[in-house]
Amino acid sequence: MALEPKTLKFLLVSVGLITLPHINHIPLSLFLFFSLLWGWRLLALSNPRLLPNQWITYLLMLIAVALLYIQHQGFMGRDAGTSLFVTALGLKLLEIKAPRDVYLIIFLSFIIAATQFLFEQSIIMAFYTLFVGIVLLSTLLLINSLTIPLTAAFKTAAIIILQALPIAVLIFILFPRMEPPAWLLFGEQNQGLTGLSDSMEPGSISQLGLSSELAFRVKFEGEVPPPNQRYWRGPVFSNTDGKRWTENSINSLKRLTENIRFSGQSYRYTLLMEPQNNRWVYALEMPAQFDDSLSQNGAYQLISPKIPTQRAEYQVTSYKQYNTGALSDRERAVNIKLPNPPSDRLLKLVNELKGFDGNQQQFIDNLLNYYQTRPFHYTLKPPLMGDKPIETFLLDERRGFCSHYASAFVYLMRIAGIPARVVAGYQGGLMNEIGGFLEVRQANAHAWSEVWLPGQGWKRIDPTAVIAPERVEQDVNIDLQIAEGIVAFSPMVSGNLSWLRQARSLWNSVDYNWQRWVINYDNLSQSDFLSRLGIKTIKDTFIGLIIGVGIISSLIALVMLKSRHRRDDPIVKLFHRFIKKLYPLKRHRGEGAETFSLRAQQQYPNAAKEIAAITRLYYRLRYFPDYSVEELKQFKEQVKIFRL
Amino acid sequence: MDSSLDQLFASANSIILGKSHQIKLAICCLFAKGHLLIEDIPGVGKTTLAHTLAKLFGMQYQRIQFTSDILPADIIGGSIFDKESNQFTFHHGPLFNQMVLADEINRSTPKAQSALLEAMEENQVTVEGKTYILPQPFFVIATQNPAHQIGTFPIPESQLDRFLMRIELGYPDRQAERELLMGQLRHRLIDDLQQQINPQQLAEIQHAVSKIYASSALLDYIQAIIDFTRQSGEYQYGLSPRAGLALLQAAKAWAYMQQRDAVIPEDVQAVLAPVAGHRIRSGQTDSAAIVAPILEQIEID
Repeated sequence: MALEPKTLKFLLVSVGLITLPHINHIPLSLFLFFSLLWGWRLLALSNPRLLPNQWITYLLMLIAVALLYIQHQGFMGRDAGTSLFVTALGLKLLEIKAPRDVYLIIFLSFIIAATQFLFEQSIIMAFYTLFVGIVLLSTLLLINSLTIPLTAAFKTAAIIILQALPIAVLIFILFPRMEPPAWLLFGEQNQGLTGLSDSMEPGSISQLGLSSELAFRVKFEGEVPPPNQRYWRGPVFSNTDGKRWTENSINSLKRLTENIRFSGQSYRYTLLMEPQNNRWVYALEMPAQFDDSLSQNGAYQLISPKIPTQRAEYQVTSYKQYNTGALSDRERAVNIKLPNPPSDRLLKLVNELKGFDGNQQQFIDNLLNYYQTRPFHYTLKPPLMGDKPIETFLLDERRGFCSHYASAFVYLMRIAGIPARVVAGYQGGLMNEIGGFLEVRQANAHAWSEVWLPGQGWKRIDPTAVIAPERVEQDVNIDLQIAEGIVAFSPMVSGNLSWLRQARSLWNSVDYNWQRWVINYDNLSQSDFLSRLGIKTIKDTFIGLIIGVGIISSLIALVMLKSRHRRDDPIVKLFHRFIKKLYPLKRHRGEGAETFSLRAQQQYPNAAKEIAAITRLYYRLRYFPDYSVEELKQFKEQVKIFRL
Repeated sequence: MDSSLDQLFASANSIILGKSHQIKLAICCLFAKGHLLIEDIPGVGKTTLAHTLAKLFGMQYQRIQFTSDILPADIIGGSIFDKESNQFTFHHGPLFNQMVLADEINRSTPKAQSALLEAMEENQVTVEGKTYILPQPFFVIATQNPAHQIGTFPIPESQLDRFLMRIELGYPDRQAERELLMGQLRHRLIDDLQQQINPQQLAEIQHAVSKIYASSALLDYIQAIIDFTRQSGEYQYGLSPRAGLALLQAAKAWAYMQQRDAVIPEDVQAVLAPVAGHRIRSGQTDSAAIVAPILEQIEID
């Protein structure tokens, strides 16, 4: 254990490298505090008298606690936790007294290197962290060896990391993946999950997170509806103040007046709901028969008797075609109400789209066409819409996700006097081939519109489908959406690609694949991938894990053993060849060539002379000064012609 | 020189029966300019071996019997007031001989032990500010009773390192025992021994030993041994750099005795147990058992 200034300097450099990426992640004041402690320690390297005494250390600790409290009000959560670790590391730097302090610092550094993945998972960061891992390991090597030079330590550390990589990759692929809690995956500020709530305010969300958390599973008896028919009905929003959409209390009452008339294709299925905070049961539109414990509210949404704290299972039958019949006056009033008179710009738009001509179907088509032909973008990172979200979205920004499209659509319908409302729920779902059921995840959350047309009743219209056909036509590919971050469906710019653009597109594809295969490798894609390899149960996985780690370790061990034998010295190689020729006689480990030779001579008296000669030459070449080329030649020749 | 070496071994073997390997090691130790520690129970011929070697090499020989009340001055000597010259004159102690047999060294107190061991290390003695050079060649054979015997002060590890080799004599085998019983008294035989090598020749041999070639391949092997003792976890502590030098020096002397100009791994292996056995510690007590993992696990190319 050597705590030389040189080693400490190296330790400080590696600590600095590890903490550097957090400059973006933790509050600046805390990072500056850490930098101060770090710089202090660096200065104290040449002048140990600068190190703080006990009281100053206590004071610094109090300052650290105060800063942490001011910035985070506690220690829970990703940001506060990381800040805590970084600050603690800075304080510990001033307190290196014994070797175990250095070990503590290094282990803490490894933790901090790992926390950085809670913020950023890019490929560049991954390589950077790998690099600092090597630096940390070489610090450990330097501390534990008096003599090892820096370059050798670095090389050894790199080799150690390289050797560990295959096993890390294998464990990454095979080890059962956990669903990380949402607070871990996503930033804590300004980010909404697509999980459903009892209100909707699309204009004030600047970033929509997609959680791969499971919402519910559906097992169909018989036919499965096509992806574009998989609308899972949730809360219905009729009330709006122009920005925020909420349920109307009338929807929560059971409809007494008229029953839905069902026709066409029916689907029988079992819903397996994950625990959630609402009493909502997401049935396929439109549910006709369901368990007695469930009830249907006035907006045709299924409601469970109480909030399910555990998984709950329900039998439901839904019909593809339905007619909800007449609308009561009360309902009409609720679903046509505007918070305030529409602005002139909106009125002008509705007029342009022939909303006041009386042909409702024509207006709907025109509006959808408007969405389709104007440069509307589907994005998960929409700009903030301000005071007049509908107007801003439709006429200025034209970027948003399903809620924007649905709410704007409903708003315009109401201006034109058509009863309309927003329906929230889930759309799509991915078939799990192994389990034979559909998996619907939080990322499948969706919002669409419903308009009431005379003679047809409530009719579903999904304006988002017009913008981003992929969103509806296919299964929602969560991986793809996260990978692209912003799903923008503007036409591709074609033309000659310059090398720069080629490089960029190459980089994009590398980055995409990194996202697709590494970052988004969740338990769903894992089970999918592993089942293709024939690994279906958790038991198979563990067996695979054990076998895989075993194989890789033995391969590495084999290479290491081989390379011990594979010395560069051709003389040694030749002698090893000679030994092989003496098979089945084997040289023991630790047996000198001379000793072995004597044993061989006893075993093979006929070849004793040659064996002795070769061994003598070998020792002459290897252990005596200045052999001649002639002797080397002779040795080669004798080994070559030697036969038992 | 070859024949005189053979004759040397023959003469020594005629006195100490059935211990030819130990005699070879002892002579090797002498050639390598190192001191020898013999650890065994009384009466197996430790003194006889020392006496024989002194006679064969024609060295001035003195035996110091270590007891629990021996003082450093009893070993080194001391200043005595001379009335005639009216000043203190230094009287050389028994240490000032070419070959010193320090018998039962672990019966004495650590203070007396260290007086001897420091003289061995520095080849000189300093008394009352004045330095006295020990004669050359200077060779100490110390004998030690096994530590479990009553009334012993084990030599500390740091001082054990001063001995190039530690050997055990052990009981003679049946045949040797019978010859011993039938033959004459040993000290009578020693008196009749002829000197085989004079101190001048011994100095030349010691010089020749230091010139024996050790290739980098061989140094690799020695370093592998040193690293193994430090890192394998077999030992509580590893070989010191001084021990590494000792191992090389002893291997060179062994190579010289095999009439070879260069050291080969077998030379190292031959001297490993006596050179390393008392410098490292494992669960074993026997030198051969202590170094067995080294011999069995380090690969040689």
